[in-house]
Amino acid sequence: MSARPVSLAATALASALLVSACAAPAADSPATSADRPWDEVLAEAEGQTVDLWMYGGDERGNAYVDDVLAPAAADLGVTVRRVPVADTKDAMRRLLAERAAGEDEGSVDLVWVNGDNFATGQEAGAWLCGWSDDLPNMRYVSDEDPLVSEDFGVPVEGCESPWHKAQFTFAYDSARVTDPPATVAGLLDWAEANPGRFTYPAPPDFTGSVFVRQALYALSGGAEGVPAAFDEGAYDELTPALWERLRDLAPALWREGRTHPRDQVALDRLFADGQVDFTMTYGPATLTELVEDGTFAPTTRVLSVEDGTIGNASFLAIPASSPDQAGAMAVADLALSPEQQVAKADPDVWGQFTVLDIALLEDDAAHAFDRLPDSPVVPAYDELSRNAQPELSSSWVTPLDEGWRREVLGRP
Amino acid sequence: MTRVVRTAGLVLALLWLVVPLAPVLVWAGAERWSFPDLLPRDWGVSGWREAASAGLPLALLRSLVLGLAVAAVATPLGVMTGRVLGWRLTGRPRMVVALLLVPLVLPPFAVAMGLDVVLIRVGLHELVSVVLLLSVVAIPYTAYTSATAFARTSPELEAQARALGATPRQARLRVVLPAVRGSILVAALLAFLVGWSDYVVTLLVGGGQLVTAPVLLGAAASGSGNDATVAAMALATVAPPVVLVTVAALRVRGSGRTAPADRLPEPVPDHERMR
Repeated sequence: MSARPVSLAATALASALLVSACAAPAADSPATSADRPWDEVLAEAEGQTVDLWMYGGDERGNAYVDDVLAPAAADLGVTVRRVPVADTKDAMRRLLAERAAGEDEGSVDLVWVNGDNFATGQEAGAWLCGWSDDLPNMRYVSDEDPLVSEDFGVPVEGCESPWHKAQFTFAYDSARVTDPPATVAGLLDWAEANPGRFTYPAPPDFTGSVFVRQALYALSGGAEGVPAAFDEGAYDELTPALWERLRDLAPALWREGRTHPRDQVALDRLFADGQVDFTMTYGPATLTELVEDGTFAPTTRVLSVEDGTIGNASFLAIPASSPDQAGAMAVADLALSPEQQVAKADPDVWGQFTVLDIALLEDDAAHAFDRLPDSPVVPAYDELSRNAQPELSSSWVTPLDEGWRREVLGRP
Repeated sequence: MTRVVRTAGLVLALLWLVVPLAPVLVWAGAERWSFPDLLPRDWGVSGWREAASAGLPLALLRSLVLGLAVAAVATPLGVMTGRVLGWRLTGRPRMVVALLLVPLVLPPFAVAMGLDVVLIRVGLHELVSVVLLLSVVAIPYTAYTSATAFARTSPELEAQARALGATPRQARLRVVLPAVRGSILVAALLAFLVGWSDYVVTLLVGGGQLVTAPVLLGAAASGSGNDATVAAMALATVAPPVVLVTVAALRVRGSGRTAPADRLPEPVPDHERMR
């Protein structure tokens, strides 16, 4: 029931956008909170209920919000109500509808968001802006961190506050892959040399789409070779080699590349069942639990990629239509506090990488991060993010997804 | 010969319904189950525990309330429409049928997408909007179910009751309605199922205020490694409707035997005596 044709969803979203473009009132003047003392925000927040819409497919993420974040928010007098959705696009549909209707008593107060969905909301003027820089806990976030100041190439501009960092990760079963490749290009070669043992979800699935961008970097001499903002000339110059490589690779994929897993869940299942030897995820935090609960073999390891993988950050954004903006800011600031960030980074809790700069923390807080237990599967963030590459701007995503469908899937 | 064919058909139809549920049944009792094992290596109830801690009991309760609310709105309206259609009380039955078909032809997703903006602008409470919208989806089912029942029942029944001195209200409520009550039960059940199993309208139009079992299930099913939890949720979501349908099927058969709807004169004294 969660599976809906993506094209339908995209059309619907586009039409919602169109409606909102015609009917929405002029974008709100950025944040009423700009120079408001934080005490005043907290006082207003007290007694509010914050509806946090977030992807609900990660049991530990749900448990962290319910058991750690929500009780801490209750101490501030703010009730957190988690609304689980199968896809963040469901939250976007609701809030774009509210935007189109000119509603200012909306039912979405906070959204876990990044990339495409953030850009969509930004285009529609659906986010409250100019607030996140004023959060007290932003002092622990580095000004120079490009992952936090831009979201898939879209400037954040105080419209969302960082929550965690993620790193695109390949995982393999070390019992079956004894000689793992060391680069992304090497991984493609490995796939060719081991027919039927590798595959990737078909774009426009989120994970499949990152894989294609990762392959584009690998074949274009890294992130430096690809302009971050979309550029027709660069697309025409760079992609033919990418499509050719992926076309050549296709016959060596699982089921001769005639079909692809629908999404990461499907790929994970193939990997868990031993039908393929690699899986990939933008949320390596989940790997620890998947191994722990026996879904993945204990011999599962994270592939260390010399040329680095793509990294991103995800955020909490407040819709302009939210009636509980002060409460939402209080929760966003709480989520950014060193205590919450360290609790969330514990592999036994959720294992999400922090957005804080450890160098900016007070000693106690910095020690708390040092004392975090290691995950038996996932390396520490600094190791995982070595040579990390920035995401391409979200304007690249659709042309690449379309190109893949036309040039790789459509021309066997 | 036809008997063999009929039995085979029945068995195939049952298999078609039950086979897809088999892995769900097994997963709901599994702790660990990976390829290529035919059966889980460890059995347990962790799926049920996780589902409960994710809020399944409350979600089921919300689904129940939503289903009942939709049935309460869609059944009376459907029965009224069904009476008009079944007894040909309108000169333009085609228009009524066409109107009824609209919600069936348009996918609920499209209806929700178009109407959510309107409903927000109108300013109705989210939960009222959900019940109204789902009732619109459910009315075709309730209307057609009761239309067939009315078509099988002669309009003379009402006339006879009136001739015997019943007021129009009495004739409808105490004579006609009991004669078609089996079908009304089925109609209410169908409307209940529309509310019970909806995802899109509940989430988008309901603005997340009503996290029902399907909403919870949809979110859980979108992640990896949740198979046991998802199976437990799926089973808990599927079981009540299956039980209800079975009970209703048995009851309708029973009532059909005791009160044949098309033998006209008898029902009146029968039911009069029962009161």
